[in-house]
Amino acid sequence: MVSVKGLTHRYGEGPAALSVLCGVDMEVEPGGYAAVTGVSGAGKSTLLAILGGLEQVQGGSVVVAGEDVARLQGRELARFRRERIGFVFQDFGLLTMLTARENVEVALALAGVPRRDRRANADRLLVEVGLADRATHRPARLSGGELQRVAMARALANHPQVVLADEPTGNLDEGSAGRVMDLLERLRQERGCTLVVVTHNPELAARAERRLRLSRGRLAGL
Amino acid sequence: MSWDDAALLALRSLGRRGARSLLAGLGVALGTTLLVALLSIAGTADSRIVSQLGHGGPATAIHVDDALPDPAGYNSDNLQSGPHRDLDDAALMAIRRAPHVTSVVPVLSSEALVVPCPGVTGGSPSAPPGCRQPAQEYFGALVGTDLTRSHDLPITVLAGRLPAPGSLTEVAVTQSYIERVHLDVTHPAAVLGSPVELATPQLLPGGNRFRGRWYRVAVVGVVAQTVDDGDLLVPIQQTQLARQWALAGGENQSFRRPTSPYSGLVVVADTLADVHAVRQEIFAIGYANGAPEHLVASVQKYLHVVDIVLGGIGSVALAIAVLGVTNTLLAAVRERWREIGVLKALGAADGDVARWFLVEAGLLGVSGGLVGTAVGTAVAASVAVIVNHYLVDQGLQGIDLGGLPVGLLFGAPVVAALLAVGAGVMPALRAARLPVREALGG
Repeated sequence: MVSVKGLTHRYGEGPAALSVLCGVDMEVEPGGYAAVTGVSGAGKSTLLAILGGLEQVQGGSVVVAGEDVARLQGRELARFRRERIGFVFQDFGLLTMLTARENVEVALALAGVPRRDRRANADRLLVEVGLADRATHRPARLSGGELQRVAMARALANHPQVVLADEPTGNLDEGSAGRVMDLLERLRQERGCTLVVVTHNPELAARAERRLRLSRGRLAGL
Repeated sequence: MSWDDAALLALRSLGRRGARSLLAGLGVALGTTLLVALLSIAGTADSRIVSQLGHGGPATAIHVDDALPDPAGYNSDNLQSGPHRDLDDAALMAIRRAPHVTSVVPVLSSEALVVPCPGVTGGSPSAPPGCRQPAQEYFGALVGTDLTRSHDLPITVLAGRLPAPGSLTEVAVTQSYIERVHLDVTHPAAVLGSPVELATPQLLPGGNRFRGRWYRVAVVGVVAQTVDDGDLLVPIQQTQLARQWALAGGENQSFRRPTSPYSGLVVVADTLADVHAVRQEIFAIGYANGAPEHLVASVQKYLHVVDIVLGGIGSVALAIAVLGVTNTLLAAVRERWREIGVLKALGAADGDVARWFLVEAGLLGVSGGLVGTAVGTAVAASVAVIVNHYLVDQGLQGIDLGGLPVGLLFGAPVVAALLAVGAGVMPALRAARLPVREALGG
């Protein structure tokens, strides 16, 4: 489901260029759960961004959900993100002017789901993440854990094959973080999607089937 | 993302920064207000000036005389008549059938002895207000025409109303009549309701003595008119009776029987551009005619320059407002950097992001344009009302408030919206082309 071979990535040009990924290899089976750890600046988020088509592939090969990410451009890349990938961000990434339901509906709207079906789908997802009674609340009225659960509902709206979570518990207290991870794991199992999580949190990493550590631009199993 | 989804996002985004959106919208509204007000006032003033050149009637009116054309009059605005030629229904129909002729209104004038306030002693407190000053009888002229088509005639009602079409007992008088009866021309309403006795002439056999066809009328209105020379404007039926009366008598060197069914015509051309062609057609049919075509054309050129200047001022104001929209949206792009990144991460294409900002610009333009058009129209109408009061106080024709350019009222919001969308293109492109990782703060 996720296959990375010899992935390299650098920021900048010339002598000042900074190499963050130096030949990364990585394999995650369909429905698998991998956690990537590493110190700040190790390139974890860059790796995740490349997997999700947010960053260009500079060297090596990246195949995600059967698509060669390096070959995707423009509208195809947008379609790949829309149909294959679900993102969960550390800061939730919710649109503050929309309600919880509308935030989920945005993902459905981008996928071209008819308006009449969107609301039902969004409500069903909010029920799944335990926020049925928060559908009409705007982000400002939700707690950190609730915000992340809305973000998860949005990430799963279009039935992605791969969910990429960048520090999903980084802004949450211990209790909320545990509940969010329980939920993420449950949803992964129910939906059979592949989950790649980038985290500093050793407890969170310990839940994954595959634990990888990114250090000096290279990935190693733990 | 569909257009209505983009509209929802845009509306919510505008609402989130309500004060800033309001200011940007107000900028567009003010620009549109200025543009609409200036162009409306200019348009109304244009029609007023051109109307003034047409003496209250359509500027495309052509006066036709019951005479052959004088060759010197072919290229002149003035009516220059040659020898008399009867103007009958056949000629009227021929002119009416000519290309670019909107209407043909017949005119028949007749001489008459006019006796103001018959049987009323001048200075008597019991006399009607229009008869309190002693007045002499005099020989005047009745101008008879088809008053059902007064809108096609150079007639301005200054007080009261026009005589009812076909009426044999009503008359409208001009300011020269008011002077004859020694009333104040700045208070024309004083003459309304006063009686007048008229006698149209018939030459008795022998050729030296006349007898009159006497009848009494009431003054129902005061007008300024250039339909023909005369103090009294009447329905054409009155002058047709006067003509029949005169035809039943004789004629001599000084009194010719009115053989022509009409003494003139007022021909209205489709447009000002058609006036010259219609005049040439009437010349070809064989009648003298005149119209201020060259004068109107010259004045219109100057008015056009004024319109361009005023429109330019309004457009500059609108352009400044539209730049405000650009500024607002550029700030919004910067502010929504992260949201743009999130949308792209969710799968939004560049076009989806651009659409969001373009719709937002369009909403600012439409709302500002609608408000601006409404306010601009109100300003123009208020100015017109004030000017109207002044003109009427001066005894002049007022402004037709219905003359506000309708196309402008409908077009201004559309133009404002299009300009605003144009102003939103740069911010929209900037947002659309934002690298997703950069937008997400990576």
